[in-house]
Amino acid sequence: MKPALIPAALLLLCTASASAWAAPGTVLRNEKLYSQPSASAKVAGSVAKGASVNILAKQGGWLRVTSGKTTGWIRLLSVRAGAGGLGGAGVGDVVGAATTRSDPSRVVAVAGLRGLNEEDLKKAKFNPEELARLESMSVSAAQARSFAGQSGLAAVSVQALPEPKPAQSSSPWEQN
Amino acid sequence: MNIKRIVIAVSLFAFSGMAAGLDFGKLLEERINQELNKDKKTQPAPAPAPAQAPATSQSAAATPPQEKQKIDARQLGFALFGDYSLEEENRIGKQIAGDLLGAVQLVRDDKLQNYVNLVGNWVAQQSGRKDVTWRFGVLDTEDINAFAAPGGFIFVTKGLYRRLNNEADLAGVLGHEIAHVSQKHHLKLLKQSSLIGALGQAASSKVKDSDQAVQNLIGNGAEIMARGLDKNAEFEADRIGIVYAARAGYDPWGLPGVLQDLAALPAKDSRTSLLYKTHPHPADRLAALGEAVDGRLDAVHGKELANRFYRIR
Repeated sequence: MKPALIPAALLLLCTASASAWAAPGTVLRNEKLYSQPSASAKVAGSVAKGASVNILAKQGGWLRVTSGKTTGWIRLLSVRAGAGGLGGAGVGDVVGAATTRSDPSRVVAVAGLRGLNEEDLKKAKFNPEELARLESMSVSAAQARSFAGQSGLAAVSVQALPEPKPAQSSSPWEQN
Repeated sequence: MNIKRIVIAVSLFAFSGMAAGLDFGKLLEERINQELNKDKKTQPAPAPAPAQAPATSQSAAATPPQEKQKIDARQLGFALFGDYSLEEENRIGKQIAGDLLGAVQLVRDDKLQNYVNLVGNWVAQQSGRKDVTWRFGVLDTEDINAFAAPGGFIFVTKGLYRRLNNEADLAGVLGHEIAHVSQKHHLKLLKQSSLIGALGQAASSKVKDSDQAVQNLIGNGAEIMARGLDKNAEFEADRIGIVYAARAGYDPWGLPGVLQDLAALPAKDSRTSLLYKTHPHPADRLAALGEAVDGRLDAVHGKELANRFYRIR
């Protein structure tokens, strides 16, 4: 009943069966494959950074993948979907090639519906009417709390995540 | 390196109440020299820094990393030192939001807009920032992106909204943008560029207090949204955003799931060109987030709320 977040599954216009979901992915760091979606489950194998996997299913923070002859669960954040490999930059062709199959959403892009680009943003003139419309839709904290409560949402205590060790010069001022 | 030190030193310097008519140039130079020397003393530098003040500030001004900026320091109605006040933050945010809405309007669907405000406001309540009025809007464009402006203005495009599967996904996306506001990422960027602008100009001031001054500060129209933040700010917003979503009771895997979805899109999809201009690639964001999260959220079991998710079209 978990809706698949893995887009390739959507690309295939997934029908009911989970086995039809196979989507390519790349392992982002050396990881274990577990027999269950839990770090306390038995380890079924391991995968190396850069390895290709097939993504079969998603459950919470876990993906079920096959790597060679091994099938197991891996942390969602240790894999990237798509066949683009490890990095972000310079993978255009690989990604493009891997996704030339039917992607219904691509039609939209090709049809050239208006997108946002830098020029549009630069030329933009302050729109007071639209801003007023936005302001009028704002809700109060009490309304939001009540809406959350309707679906059983309650505030949970979760610790902040640590900043990963800085890679040499992590100064926010020196990027760009 | 110099610029970095100056900017940090200067922005640490809590000097507000800059009165009209002061000579910005001289003041800046003095302060910067002071701060630079102070900085050098505290560093375990090999030599005690001689007061080579003018030369230092010169060379710093000669290497502005953000040449795209066209900030006229003389027209800033803003304190150059210390933090922006809440009132200034609101004015800046309002100007950016109004400009952005001049480029693309809101989706004409009040139920959608109301839903996104209810979800967004709840997530924002986990941020600890109670001094801003949170406003959320869905922009009528197929472009895939989301934006934040100071003062609590958050936008998600229809193109991105369409790709979401449940309320937890939405909470994750909004959490990332809310983090930009709670961490004041844009304000820090503006502070940096206004200082650099001021350095370059080193001219005497005539402080004006008008919307034009705000516009001057943020550049042309909503171009600040096209320039983006540095990648560390984006990684930080990812880390903080999923924690906000988790604190709000949602499954924390919403944002990672959305990043997975984007990672699998064709790299040349025109709908993501602005997103990739201003953000690291999703694969890099997933990897960075993976480092930070590891097993830390294993015990968090939130809700996805697919049934309640408002679907468009």
